[in-house]
Amino acid sequence: MDRDLANNPQLIQFLSQEKERAMANEVVAKITSSCWDKCVDKPGSKFSSSESSCLSNCALRYMDMTMLIMKRFQQ
Amino acid sequence: MDFSSPSPPMGSGQSPEALMEQVQAQLAQAYMEELVETLRGKCFDKCIAKPGSSLSSGESSCVSRCVDRYMEATGIIRRSLFSQQR
Repeated sequence: MDRDLANNPQLIQFLSQEKERAMANEVVAKITSSCWDKCVDKPGSKFSSSESSCLSNCALRYMDMTMLIMKRFQQ
Repeated sequence: MDFSSPSPPMGSGQSPEALMEQVQAQLAQAYMEELVETLRGKCFDKCIAKPGSSLSSGESSCVSRCVDRYMEATGIIRRSLFSQQR
């Protein structure tokens, strides 16, 4: 890459933002994959309220579990 | 987005703006390809129980619903994780 481009502050910030965005997308994708398997049996024409709450709870419990795992690791 | 026309190699005398646009386009395409891969796996598992000699109309409509629901699930998960910063 051009030395000028490599030092361009606009580019540096842009790449940092895109990296964060990509990492967030990856987290969402992974959790959606697991929670879909747990919460959705047969896809209907809309989610039932129990499916919707299962999905949103699932994401939060997944994060709780992550904290637990990290704590355990440090013990 | 046209991905069929060749694009200049990255960083060769490009403006920062053009480079950023190119990177964003490639990231978006990679995201889309991965999403399609995921949908294929998930919806095949949920909708095609016993593969026959063609897709039945029941299987086809299940697949359509599956794609819609999976996209909706992605939104639910995203909002659940990012609308409250924990």
